[in-house]
Amino acid sequence: MSTTLERPPTGALSGNGGAPARRAMLRWAWRLFRREWRQQLLIVALVVVAVGATVLGATVATNTPPPANAGFGTAQDLATFQGPNPKLPAQTAALRHRFGRVEVIEDEVMTVPGSIDTYDLRAQDPHGPFGQPMLALVAGHYPTGPGQVAVTDGVASDFRLKIGDLWHKPGGTPRRVVGIVENPQSLLDEFALVVPGQVKAPTQVTLLFDAGGVSAASIGPNVETPSMVASSNSLNPETIVLALDTLGMLLIGLVAVGGFTVLAQRRLRSIGMVGALGATDKHIRLVVRANGVVAGVVGTLVGAALGLVVWLAYRPRIESSAHHVIGAFALPWVVVAVAMVLAVVATSLAAARPAHTVTRIPIVAALSGRPAPPKQVHRSALPGLVFLVVAFFLLSYSGSGSSAKPRTPELVLGLVALIPAVILLSPFCLTTLARLGRRAPISVRLALRDLARYRARSGSALAAVSLGVLIAVIIAVVAAARYGNVLDYAGPNLAANQVVIYTPNGGQGPGPGTAPSSSQLRSMTKAADGIAASLGSPDIVQLESTSASLNHDASGRNWSGPIYVATPSLLAAFGIRVSQIDPTADILTMRPGLAGTSKMQLVYGKYFNGPTFGPGNGPGPGSGPRSFPCPKASCLANPVIQTLSALPSGTSAPNTVITEHAIKEFHLRDSVSLSGWLIQTRGPLTASQIYNTRQAAAASGMGIETKNSQPSSSEIINWATVFGIILALGILAMIVGLLRSETAGDLRTLTATGASSSTRRALTAATAGALGLVGAVLGTVAGYVGVIGYIRSNSLNGGISALGNVPVENLLIIILGIPLIAAAGAWLFAGREPPAMARQPLE
Amino acid sequence: MSFLELRKVTKFYGEGAAQVRAIEDVELSVDRGALVAVMGPSGSGKSTLLTIAGSLEEPTSGEVLIEGAPLSKMSRNDKARLRRRTIGYVFQDFNLLAGLTAVENVSLPLELDGVSAKRAYATGMAALEELGLADLATRYPDELSGGERQRASIARAVVGERHLLLADEPSGALDSTNGEAVMRMIHAACKRGVAAVVVTHDAHLASWADRVVFLRDGRVVDQTSPPPSPESLLAPAPEP
Amino acid sequence: MSVRHALLALLSAGPKYGFQLRQEFEASTGDVWPLNVGQVYSTLQRLEHAGHIESDDSAADSPQKSFRITPEGEKELDHWLRTPPDMTSPPRDQLVIKVLSALVVPGIDVRDVIQVHRRYLVELMQMWTRLKEDEAEFDLTLALVVDAELFRLDSVIRWLDAAGGRLQRAVIDPPIPSTVPLLRRRIVVRR
Repeated sequence: MSTTLERPPTGALSGNGGAPARRAMLRWAWRLFRREWRQQLLIVALVVVAVGATVLGATVATNTPPPANAGFGTAQDLATFQGPNPKLPAQTAALRHRFGRVEVIEDEVMTVPGSIDTYDLRAQDPHGPFGQPMLALVAGHYPTGPGQVAVTDGVASDFRLKIGDLWHKPGGTPRRVVGIVENPQSLLDEFALVVPGQVKAPTQVTLLFDAGGVSAASIGPNVETPSMVASSNSLNPETIVLALDTLGMLLIGLVAVGGFTVLAQRRLRSIGMVGALGATDKHIRLVVRANGVVAGVVGTLVGAALGLVVWLAYRPRIESSAHHVIGAFALPWVVVAVAMVLAVVATSLAAARPAHTVTRIPIVAALSGRPAPPKQVHRSALPGLVFLVVAFFLLSYSGSGSSAKPRTPELVLGLVALIPAVILLSPFCLTTLARLGRRAPISVRLALRDLARYRARSGSALAAVSLGVLIAVIIAVVAAARYGNVLDYAGPNLAANQVVIYTPNGGQGPGPGTAPSSSQLRSMTKAADGIAASLGSPDIVQLESTSASLNHDASGRNWSGPIYVATPSLLAAFGIRVSQIDPTADILTMRPGLAGTSKMQLVYGKYFNGPTFGPGNGPGPGSGPRSFPCPKASCLANPVIQTLSALPSGTSAPNTVITEHAIKEFHLRDSVSLSGWLIQTRGPLTASQIYNTRQAAAASGMGIETKNSQPSSSEIINWATVFGIILALGILAMIVGLLRSETAGDLRTLTATGASSSTRRALTAATAGALGLVGAVLGTVAGYVGVIGYIRSNSLNGGISALGNVPVENLLIIILGIPLIAAAGAWLFAGREPPAMARQPLE
Repeated sequence: MSFLELRKVTKFYGEGAAQVRAIEDVELSVDRGALVAVMGPSGSGKSTLLTIAGSLEEPTSGEVLIEGAPLSKMSRNDKARLRRRTIGYVFQDFNLLAGLTAVENVSLPLELDGVSAKRAYATGMAALEELGLADLATRYPDELSGGERQRASIARAVVGERHLLLADEPSGALDSTNGEAVMRMIHAACKRGVAAVVVTHDAHLASWADRVVFLRDGRVVDQTSPPPSPESLLAPAPEP
Repeated sequence: MSVRHALLALLSAGPKYGFQLRQEFEASTGDVWPLNVGQVYSTLQRLEHAGHIESDDSAADSPQKSFRITPEGEKELDHWLRTPPDMTSPPRDQLVIKVLSALVVPGIDVRDVIQVHRRYLVELMQMWTRLKEDEAEFDLTLALVVDAELFRLDSVIRWLDAAGGRLQRAVIDPPIPSTVPLLRRRIVVRR
């Protein structure tokens, strides 16, 4: 703009004020935000919580698993050799010749005398080309000669060592302790570090090198890359956190639409005034939208800062529980950035609609503070229903059906379609509610009518409440259905007081693999007994398995979880008397409903293809017979299944066992082998007990399994119920607060016409209760429709019978609890005169 | 040529049985430097006349010309620009934007029109100084008295050489002293060449005008003739 | 306004000559109430008769004659200042009578009659306001007098407005001819 002109040149196109006008509008918007930040506190608080939770959640989630390069350092490839290997020098040389630098790390497992603890005597160059991330100096310095050693904290305390001590133990060579070290990538890694060449009889040799794109498998069978290790984690935690964040932002956006509508309403006169002063529609929209952006930015910055502070405070604890060092700023910056951008986008989009609406109000009406009369067009339920049906069908086809893979796009689209369904159905529900409430007392009638008349804000509020409920219902019902599925059993693997020790091939399952020699068996049994003794438990059961598995015809899905042999000792351990057992039973199970499931078959012999055993294995490969009934030779259709509730319920526990009768009948005796032991302690296992047990089992080449973090079905359902109620109530509280701040004028008029505080209470309670009730019902119905569609296509029984055990109590708590709590809370809090009533904000 | 001209302006609100005639066939012309008052009881269509003359509403029929340019030919943006550059409003009770200081309020129309903030500020300060309000420049509206707010709004209505001042009961909420001060300012603005229309039901305010137009049921029913010299009042009075 | 009491008021500030009283009277009424010399002296004579004032020289009527207020005069002045003017009698104002008469004359729109008077009154107010606009800021007494006149005229205009409003309502919602409205009308008129 020319500075010599008082005004920019007159012209039809140039006359919208340009940058100075926008600046003036933004300045005003900022001042308004500062003046009225209390009215926006709810929205800002929501954004703060969401962004903070995302930052913290994403950081914890990404930092909890071991780093992707754990064990690799900076190398791209890792080759391991077990035990002394005469070919090792040649292979090392070959690798060095082929790929350049190779770093050799040698480990010799040493036991701590009088303890089941072990540590490694490790030869590693602290300045090696790849291994540096796996080594950090806590105190002192690294060993520089054969007479020096650096130890980890654990080793130092086991042997009561400190820097400067002379340590005689490892390998009998006396060494001077010169430093305290740690492996930042695994704090559980206890070792004594010596200079290379000092480990005489390595238990394991690790070669680190960069193959530079050459496929690991082509180099050798014992070569791994970080991606091979990482690929076992199918769902990226960052993806989950981001998905949750997106959903959260959607909810916030919906709440914010209502909030900004109310806010624009409050500012209507000012906006009319600005219009009278010659602001264009664009300028006015800018003010409202800028407010949204400011609220989003403020919330985002505060939220991110809060998340960071909490993270920094929480970091030491998560370091100790995740067992590796985590950098203070090892945040998933991409996720954080995306979450922050999402928050700002959500709030600014939420402000866009009120911004558009407010410019359609004639200036004269705006100046007098009269909102445009709400449009009384009949809002059809049809679009919402269409979306609901679409969601239902999408979800119906999301399941695997006959094919093995679930169709993720349909699942996601189906869930996404539920959201517009709920949003579009909300206004219709409000209208219906108002019609139903025509004969109610005045306060209720007034509340319902206001909700129906001002659907722009109450509709989005209702949608937000419904979505909160929808999420909870979907989680609860899916969890119930999923956990109720007797075939695809899910839940915690073991109880908190149980530990399973697997023999070396117990984890891979018995079968043609090399059976442990009798001497090995003896030593393992001894070790297992030792562990049981150290846990103070005489309750140790030997677990035996056989080469048979239980299959279901449908979709060729296999059984999940091991089938152990119902040895007398196992039955006795769970208090089952032989007399309780049906002599003809082939299978005993605690899974309710399994006995009544049709088309089951017990396969063995040539169809048996390694069932799934041990920790971390999902359903097996499913190579059973394709037809039902299966060929007689190696398969028994419809085995006799007896339900015994005394058996343990964990997925890894012997919840389903094959009887001695079946073993005998199908000549499986030869394939029975020892898989491991189940030890049950009196109280829950402590972390240190688990740690010690793991170390002790590892020392004998065995593995253990304890209760994983998977929640039980009732835990999930209750958690989802509580979550849904809290979410819905939180949204409700905010919305009702907003609506009330707007109807303060109405309330004053009511008070002036003689309404008592109980009228005020009833009005607010009716508003909250009605929103809560409709939200709960709408959310539940929509959730159910989606879930029925999903279950239809995913249930193994091909029907919705899996919904038979829906958590009715929890649903009732949601449908009745939310409106009741909302109404009661509103009744309680509406008694006080809000300060807004005592003092009308100055305009 | 008159600065503001209303030709057979009619405005209906609503439709059918609920239709309300706000004003009907109103003819009005205001020259530069003239102060015209529109008097009439409540509901006579005074405010509608003002909002139509100020391009805030569109007449059902008839034409409004400002400086000879018909408003009906203008787009929304053109009208917004007209309001920024030519028309100044003073309303009864709500005039200043909360969140902006007095001087920012005054300079806002200039800034909306693309004048740089610095220059607009200087112009706004000058306008306030001219009206003796320089002390109040940096105060927020809620720190000003009703009379001060109203005077600041007059400063805003005439800032930047705007030549049409439209006031709707400009002293409605004020006591008579403050009301008189407001009218005095509007009168002074007219002396400098502003065309002003003041809508009121208060004869005190109307008596400041050069011409008073009487409105009844949306129609102009009468207007005063140019007043005689005030000297005629000083003729010897009859015996008390 | 009572000239007698105005002169008493002027004299309460101290003895004054006749011509001086006339000047001060005119000044104190904002020069809007011209008074001739004869009026002044006849009033002073009446005051002297009543014993409210006394002159230093009872010999002759001369401009040099000086007057001062007596205690009785002060008492009278005080009484007068504190006695509200009689406002209890019903309005015998010409304007009121004209409007009431217009009601019964066929073929005449009372509202037009009212408007004629309203316009005249507004024009009068415009003239008074002009006066104020020019000099009232510097002359307190003139401002007070002009305000008094403006408010008086304004009150009449307000009455016309109210009458117009009442008539309009009567047109929209004509009273049913029965005894009750008649009674009501009588009460209204009396008021």
